[in-house]
Amino acid sequence: MSTTRDRVDRAIGQGLKNALPELDRPDRDAVLTSDIGLDSVQIMNLVMEIEDELDISIPIDVLAEIRTLNQLAERLTRMIDENKT
Amino acid sequence: MSIFKKFAAVAEARSELEGDGPSAIATPIDAVRSATRGVIGGREVLLAGTNNYMGLTFEPDLIKASQDALARSGSGTTGSRMANGSYDGHAALERELAAAYDWPSAIVFSTGYQANLGTLSGLAADGDFLLVDADSHASIYDGCRLSRAQTVVFRHNDPENLDRRLSRLGDEASRAIVVVEGLYSMLGDQPPLEAFVEVKKKHGAWLIVDEAHSFGVFGEHGLGLSEQAGVLDDVDFVVGTFSKSLAGIGGFCVSRHRELELLRLASRPYIFTASPSPAVIAGTRVALRKIIDGRSLRKQLHRNIDRLYAGARSLGFELGSDTPGPVAAIILPDRATALAHWKGLLASGVYANLMIPPATPAGLNLLRISMSAAHTDEDVDQILDGLGAMVSHQAPPDLVQSAR
Repeated sequence: MSTTRDRVDRAIGQGLKNALPELDRPDRDAVLTSDIGLDSVQIMNLVMEIEDELDISIPIDVLAEIRTLNQLAERLTRMIDENKT
Repeated sequence: MSIFKKFAAVAEARSELEGDGPSAIATPIDAVRSATRGVIGGREVLLAGTNNYMGLTFEPDLIKASQDALARSGSGTTGSRMANGSYDGHAALERELAAAYDWPSAIVFSTGYQANLGTLSGLAADGDFLLVDADSHASIYDGCRLSRAQTVVFRHNDPENLDRRLSRLGDEASRAIVVVEGLYSMLGDQPPLEAFVEVKKKHGAWLIVDEAHSFGVFGEHGLGLSEQAGVLDDVDFVVGTFSKSLAGIGGFCVSRHRELELLRLASRPYIFTASPSPAVIAGTRVALRKIIDGRSLRKQLHRNIDRLYAGARSLGFELGSDTPGPVAAIILPDRATALAHWKGLLASGVYANLMIPPATPAGLNLLRISMSAAHTDEDVDQILDGLGAMVSHQAPPDLVQSAR
């Protein structure tokens, strides 16, 4: 059975494909802004795609805390699991 | 490490925009002669980059009322509405705003920015939800930050996306406040307000419409897009500003809910600032009457809007909005081209706005032209001639050069 983290990782992969097809499998530990060079609009679009994939709404204060895709995955996994309990 | 290091990127972006002639950012306006004429770089120019949609800034009745109030009540209130800053004029303006909407309550704020900050942070608290359009003005985002509510962004002008997000909240949607604008000031586009109202009603949520750029412009009495769309009965709060069509400075929130009055006790941006000066309030009261009765002004404004949109399109320019409105945003491929067009238009005697990321949505580079009821047919012709010259020259090479 796939874990929440697996589902989140797949959603991030699909979100990247939809929102930022020009990025070829980016390093998920790279900082989205300074390392990958994304601006706030690109990050917002990516997040919206991930939200659609997972059928969740991500509060903007959650986004303020994260710097990398793996941090995002970790935070979303926690958020989804907390909502289940 | 210097605390100023974080500004390096914006400082570099700004220096790239510098060059010969007046700066495109924070352009120094040497003098303002009328609602549509000013002096920039030593030359008189046509002003087509203001938010003076109704053209009331030099209205003699408005100036007289402001002068009288200045002489009668002094230059400033020197205090908060909660202390010594509530004069008869403030209360009268609030009554007049409420009466314009036929609603029981209105609150005046010291700026339009603070109207959003004060309304959102005052209304939404811990346990509530704010659902805001992705292209919202900074004052809406900042109001969300100042509140303790959980804030979620929905796709720009997408009621279906909002519907999904409200569905996820289930019963808690009754504690959700949806925020949309009547006109988005960068691209000049309008929301599908009727569809948003349907979604809001379906989930029992609340709706705020920020009519900052649409007040005065739309509706039989100029009350905004909500009036024009015929949905005022389903809008809970309208937020607006005095610094655009109302030709002053300040802001307001008006509501069908009498309990809006309670916000005066809870809204920090309302409480912890000085109230607007008597002269500003007196001028705004005159401007409000002129807007409510301003059918002929709106007729001229919309004539100008329709001519500008049609003319710009026939020249081949791509505009940010399909529906004509007071803002015509010409989308240009990159910053250098946008700057060259801005300079080109100024060289032809027309001041517009250069709008570039991060102020713009979707990373767009825009030449933003705004219309006023005070513009004449000849003024619109001059703007279109200026744009036409750039099409025929394909942005003169020397201008492109200096933009780099």
